[in-house]
Amino acid sequence: MEALLRRRAAYVCQSCVRSARQQLWRSYSSVSPRPDIYDVVCVGGGPAGLSLLTALRANPNTSHLRVALVEAQDLSKIKSWSLPPNKFSNRCSSLTPSSVKFLEQIGAWEHMARNRVQPYQEMQVWDGVSGARIEFDWAGAAPNTGTTIAYMTENLNLTSGLLKRLEELGGVATFDNARVENITYGEETEKLDLREWPVVQLSGDKQLFARLLVGADGANSPVRSFAGIEAKGWDYNRHGVVATVELEGEGWGGEFTKIAYQRFLPTGPVAMLPMPGNYSTLVWSTTPSNAALLKSLSPKDFTAMVNAAFRLSTVDLEYMHTQSSGQDEEYSWRMEHTPVDHRAVPQVVTAVQEGTVASFPLKLRHADTYVAERVALVGDAAHTIHPLAGQGLNQGQGDVQSLAKTIEYAVIHGQDIGVGMSLESYVSERYAANHVLLGVCDKLHKLYSFGSGPLVPLRSLGLSAVNAFGPLKTFVMNQAAGNGIKVF
Amino acid sequence: MRSPLLRPAAPWALLRRPSPLSSRPLLPPQQLPQPSTQPRSQCRPHSTTTATSSVNETEISHFSSLASSWWDPHGPSRPLHLMNPHRHDFIVSCLSSSPSPSPTTNFTYLDVGCGGGIFAESAARLPTTLSVTGIDASPVILAVARQHAKRDPSLTQKLAYINSPVESLVLPPVDIVTCFEVIEHVDYPSQFLSELVKFVKPGGWVIMSTIARTWTSWVTTNLVAEDILGVVPKGTHDWNKYLHEYELRDWFKKDREEGDGRPKWGEARVMGVVFVPGCGWKEVRGSEKIGNYFFGVQRLA
Repeated sequence: MEALLRRRAAYVCQSCVRSARQQLWRSYSSVSPRPDIYDVVCVGGGPAGLSLLTALRANPNTSHLRVALVEAQDLSKIKSWSLPPNKFSNRCSSLTPSSVKFLEQIGAWEHMARNRVQPYQEMQVWDGVSGARIEFDWAGAAPNTGTTIAYMTENLNLTSGLLKRLEELGGVATFDNARVENITYGEETEKLDLREWPVVQLSGDKQLFARLLVGADGANSPVRSFAGIEAKGWDYNRHGVVATVELEGEGWGGEFTKIAYQRFLPTGPVAMLPMPGNYSTLVWSTTPSNAALLKSLSPKDFTAMVNAAFRLSTVDLEYMHTQSSGQDEEYSWRMEHTPVDHRAVPQVVTAVQEGTVASFPLKLRHADTYVAERVALVGDAAHTIHPLAGQGLNQGQGDVQSLAKTIEYAVIHGQDIGVGMSLESYVSERYAANHVLLGVCDKLHKLYSFGSGPLVPLRSLGLSAVNAFGPLKTFVMNQAAGNGIKVF
Repeated sequence: MRSPLLRPAAPWALLRRPSPLSSRPLLPPQQLPQPSTQPRSQCRPHSTTTATSSVNETEISHFSSLASSWWDPHGPSRPLHLMNPHRHDFIVSCLSSSPSPSPTTNFTYLDVGCGGGIFAESAARLPTTLSVTGIDASPVILAVARQHAKRDPSLTQKLAYINSPVESLVLPPVDIVTCFEVIEHVDYPSQFLSELVKFVKPGGWVIMSTIARTWTSWVTTNLVAEDILGVVPKGTHDWNKYLHEYELRDWFKKDREEGDGRPKWGEARVMGVVFVPGCGWKEVRGSEKIGNYFFGVQRLA
């Protein structure tokens, strides 16, 4: 700096040099410590936050950015996560081919336990009241789309793979087991004006200054609250009951043609999604009281209820939900009087894995916007969706892919990656697309929540019509697979 | 025929105040009168004008009045903010077109007429940049630029602003001299250009942008942008001062080495851009003939 001043002195008058020297001296003598400045501080080490950091580190245009990760959990435990091949975590997601492509691009896919990932090629969806049915498979679909609709993956397998990839890339200042005490703004000093810079205060007096603060911190995002962004929506008064179950076989299509099943019941959809081998993961959206009952049942009765959910009439099911136990016998008796096309429903569930039955409340939330000055929201912090189409995690990956691209463009063009102007394209690319998907899933939930009345034959007609009309069905499948047909 | 660069040359110019250069024949740039360098003891880096300045007081006060909204992305300078990425794209295309392998890092920049620092800041942020000097004749706007640069700690070591017209600037030559949306605001563009090009290193580039003087540009930049849509503040543009790309091209063609008369400049590159409300700027091939365009030319080594 002195040298710079001396060089300048050649063409700046002496009085100016003197005053500049004094300024310099004053700033050196001030006692405030140098702030710990990062280009990106990501709060939240879930799939969205980890994917974002991986994408930034893996890209040569953004790898020079100084990035930090703040996570409440112990990340080393998640990274070293492993289960025996016959045990599966109950929190699974259906990754669309476009999400998988993104994970491949950022080099995370190869770090996941691939033998625990199950692609599926067919979907069977039907109306629990009328029986109207739609079958999705890629026969007759565009040849370049591949044959896989989606990939069933344990969330922990994904986060563990991302952490391994991040470790390989290096360069992330990681603060795990860390609590965000507070988020404030910086101050103005003689040399710097950090009044618009978020400062993340961690326990133990650690302060992180963020050029861009990313909220990947879930549905109750503290970053979103800090930015003053509201999330609007409603609770469905429904819970999602999840469990890992074992079936009598590998599925009707064998090892290489796996099928996902979903039946719309008036209380909500119940889905059976294939995992490797004879295993499947269950996602059953139902009323909080039904969910409480299901969780209280013995493994034998729970298993019977799951089999009943795909086979018995809604009246039978309603009755079985009033029993506090004995569903196993009830199911056997009722099945004797219920004709079922066995190949149209999942194979029989024979067991439920211990400790995997759990439930969580379902809600719809959409943040008013995804960005504020020096703040961006991704994943559940930006939106929470009904799980019936398995799109939640994929939306988060879509956000991250878009945000990483937006940051890369800003870096290449010398823009400050934190300012609203640089983040505009992220919002315009993602907001409308996410909003449509949130709305479609919401309307589907509501449409199928009627047990009787004029909507039942109408929706059945709609489902049958879609099933009969090839191009529309292909369109719907492309949407489910995230294959790039964009509504907007 | 007189060069349009030696304004005023067109009939409408009769309405403007007479220019001391208007009656002069076209002179090669090196023969234009050089601005006298002021004695160092009287150096006034905070003054706005000098005796030989190309800057126009009305223009300075117009832009000074925009100072407070310069960095408001939704304010009157929004089109400039939106144009900035295209400036970088154009520079990249110029650098990569160079026949001789040019350096890829440690670039030095001089941004003439830097305003609030939209381009200067962005250039300083690039990892390939060593330093950026931004100069502007308006002290009000430079105060905004300095205050804004304080918001980004990564700029402190790389970016410096000097309140000076180009005529009285003292600075070693740089790799890239930029001058965006400026030349259409100066009174004597030929004299201004000959001052500006002194700061280009051999092998370095002059990168400019301005607007062609056509009826289309009058309709779009004066009538629609200023009067009807109001996306550009009223009084920003003086259509009479717009320059055609062939006028710039000619100027650089005629600027030759003293003595042997070898050409000083390589083949000029141009890129036309069109502002689409709601979408921003789009590159449109051939539009340099009718509206906004970028112009780049390399100083031969």
